[in-house]
Amino acid sequence: MDALAAYSAFNRELARGVSTAPPAELVGLTRGESLRYPRLGIYTGGGSSHSWLWLAEVFERLGFYDLKFLDAAQVGAGGLAGLDVLVLSGGDTFAMARALGPGGAEAIRDFVEGGGLYLGACAGAYLVMRSSKEPLNQFNLVPATISNLSKILPRALTLPEKYTNAYGCDYVFHPVREAMLLQGQGGPMGQDEFQAPLYGGPAMLPADEVVEVLASYQDFTPGTRFLAPPDLAAETLLGKAAVLRGRLGEGTLYLFGPHFEHPGFAGANRRLARAIYQDMPGGRAKAAPEKADQLAGAGAKALIKAIKRQVSNSRITAVSLEDHPARWLIGDKVYEPAKLRVFLEAIWSRLRPLERASGLAQVPGAEELPDLLAGVTTGIRALKRELAAEDDTTARAAKLFQDLNRAAALFLRMYFASARLGHLDPPAARRLH
Amino acid sequence: MEFLASEQIAVIDLASGEVTEEEFTDELCQEKIGGAGVNLALYKQYEAEEPVVLGAGLFTGTMVPGSSLGLMTAKSPLTGTVVHTPLTQYAGMELKYSGFDYIVIKGTAAAPSYLWIHDGIADIEDASGLWGLDVWAACDKVRADMGDELIQVLGAGPAAEKGSDLACVMLNYWHGGDRFGLGKALAAKNLKLIAIRGLGLLEIAEDEEFVEQCVELIGQVKSGAWAGKKGLGDLGAAVGENGLADWLAPVLHRSRSDFNTPFAANSFLFLEGDPAELAEPANPEPGVLLAGLDGALGLMKLGLTVAEAGDVALACAKAGLDVSGVASVCAAGGTTEAGAIIAALEDISGPVEGLAGPFSPWTPKQSVFADFGSGDEWWTRRQAVAHIFGLDPLFVLMCPELTEEKLLELASLGTELEFSAEGLEAVIAEVAG
Repeated sequence: MDALAAYSAFNRELARGVSTAPPAELVGLTRGESLRYPRLGIYTGGGSSHSWLWLAEVFERLGFYDLKFLDAAQVGAGGLAGLDVLVLSGGDTFAMARALGPGGAEAIRDFVEGGGLYLGACAGAYLVMRSSKEPLNQFNLVPATISNLSKILPRALTLPEKYTNAYGCDYVFHPVREAMLLQGQGGPMGQDEFQAPLYGGPAMLPADEVVEVLASYQDFTPGTRFLAPPDLAAETLLGKAAVLRGRLGEGTLYLFGPHFEHPGFAGANRRLARAIYQDMPGGRAKAAPEKADQLAGAGAKALIKAIKRQVSNSRITAVSLEDHPARWLIGDKVYEPAKLRVFLEAIWSRLRPLERASGLAQVPGAEELPDLLAGVTTGIRALKRELAAEDDTTARAAKLFQDLNRAAALFLRMYFASARLGHLDPPAARRLH
Repeated sequence: MEFLASEQIAVIDLASGEVTEEEFTDELCQEKIGGAGVNLALYKQYEAEEPVVLGAGLFTGTMVPGSSLGLMTAKSPLTGTVVHTPLTQYAGMELKYSGFDYIVIKGTAAAPSYLWIHDGIADIEDASGLWGLDVWAACDKVRADMGDELIQVLGAGPAAEKGSDLACVMLNYWHGGDRFGLGKALAAKNLKLIAIRGLGLLEIAEDEEFVEQCVELIGQVKSGAWAGKKGLGDLGAAVGENGLADWLAPVLHRSRSDFNTPFAANSFLFLEGDPAELAEPANPEPGVLLAGLDGALGLMKLGLTVAEAGDVALACAKAGLDVSGVASVCAAGGTTEAGAIIAALEDISGPVEGLAGPFSPWTPKQSVFADFGSGDEWWTRRQAVAHIFGLDPLFVLMCPELTEEKLLELASLGTELEFSAEGLEAVIAEVAG
């Protein structure tokens, strides 16, 4: 059994009830409390990129099936109630802040102050750091700043579209991408070295002693890709904080520069799990499970087949576009055609277990999925024709990514709800291990 | 049937518009092995509904050398008997990965239709916009509509719509090995074409050993007598038609092989400009692919120049007419001038002399390059083996290394089922009629 499978097994135990003797090698608890199965919210709304799909993937591998997928409106409208953990991953920080708005900012603050655990990676980390810029100044939850900020934009060696974002009169720049070597400095991160990938995330500087540095950027790896000259990259990153932990009211915030949820980095994934166990709210009554009606028999099979039909149609065209040189600037992020398939694969790879499932959880909105995905098929085919005609496809692409994001969130909601009902065994069926 | 298969048989009723799925079971595979064995069993099961059965062989799409073959089993309009038409080039491979192991098409559609087979979904689509189009235009349109140039199209051309006995099943733009008029059989069902695309995967039971043995077999096969030979010219010379290479030379552009088939048997004739010119031609398809020795020889023996023959072959390709059958009918009727032949294509039909048995006579009826067998009985047995295991019917005539014993051994490794020489003997006897 590999390490993630061990977490999955432990979480199955937790799902059946409270564990009073959590295995230290998995959870590393020092607080001496019993554990219960957490409910996690994943932000999928405006400004988020595809990286929230990594969260779904890794939480599935780790056995955290009690997942809720939230858009910006849901965050601001009481959607955080009953959650133990809220996770915001990568994307366009400003777009995220605009989408969430003052209501979302207040809801997140209330959630943490009330004892919730906030995990922010990349854009999700930038979002809650100290800032005077509108609209980020609504989210000042952790007293920390960044070192990858410059008034003069340093020269880019490659990938200029991934290199920088404007921040007022300054530039946030991203000196490297891909795997970095990190040094754990305590708590759930341990004291040893491990790797995690950086895709535009911050190098952080705590601005208050109440903020703990749990891991720092130790070195580059053979897999590190330099976008800035190596000496500047070293000066900007090495020794700076890669993971911070802050406290607010009863709650805790983790800020991750690298993507600890990337499915290719098991060591980082394990530390993410330990952070959840370590700092999820304790002592509260377990939130009542979300109720879901069940759909079985011909109705369930017809729904899955209709979804499969459209995902297959979209996927076939998306694959044919993967080598196309098109790039779209959507908000502050650059998207390429290969990203289309990332959303589709998140659905496709989970269809087989659902085809074999004894039933489905009937979650609100799931019945819209076939039509929503049929629209995606139409959109991807039109996109291909328009690219061939050398038309401007930015608006088309933006709408497609929005629809794909919504479809993936809706589908995963149904998938994990079905898993919680015991209708499928995702790790076994998907051969995740 | 977990290995080397998708576990699904589609049964498509064109009359009712219903598609049902059956499991492709271990038992059926054990008894009939695959390809023509299973196709024939399904044909018999649905015989009263005049089915057309599509299937791939057990090894189609795998690393076994020559693993390109799919096949269509139906009653030939020319012979009135059940035949197995080879689906070569890339059609068989795509069928194998389509999510269906076998597809039964029964009944007649009320209106012109086409089938869209993709990732385990079989859709019956309206073909009113395709009916009447020539083979090339129909192929282009369905690929554009479905958004992928890699879609494999089994098509019936205008000749099939008019009921010509010489209307063959076309493979995208080109002829394959159909000498039995199965294009007419499709059109009789109001079926214009079958479009296939799959992004599936195959599981192999004993994967490492299977791959090792395939690599070893490829090594043996590569040093065979065919090595260094290519195209219809060398193929003709091997069977005593020494003038063919010189006849082809003035417009010969390149030789093209079928999926995973080391011998490049197909010859592309460049009909616009100099075939030695390296510049990209303005016309994206400035010529025609000759995919059968019998067709090339038939046109040569009419006394046509190769350029004239190319024009005839191209007109046949667009109309969906079998070049070999056209040459045979024209020779019998004394029509030997290119313009007159092309003019006659409008309403040309059978009969064609010399068709007998269940396997297409598009390959020479002897071993090729290597001398390891001859005679009708030997050829029929070799064809049966190719059509059961999904191997190129021409390549098996060149490779004594592809023994029945080796194929049975690989079949057991690939599937975890036990196959015996006696079982194979019974299937060969059945499919060979």
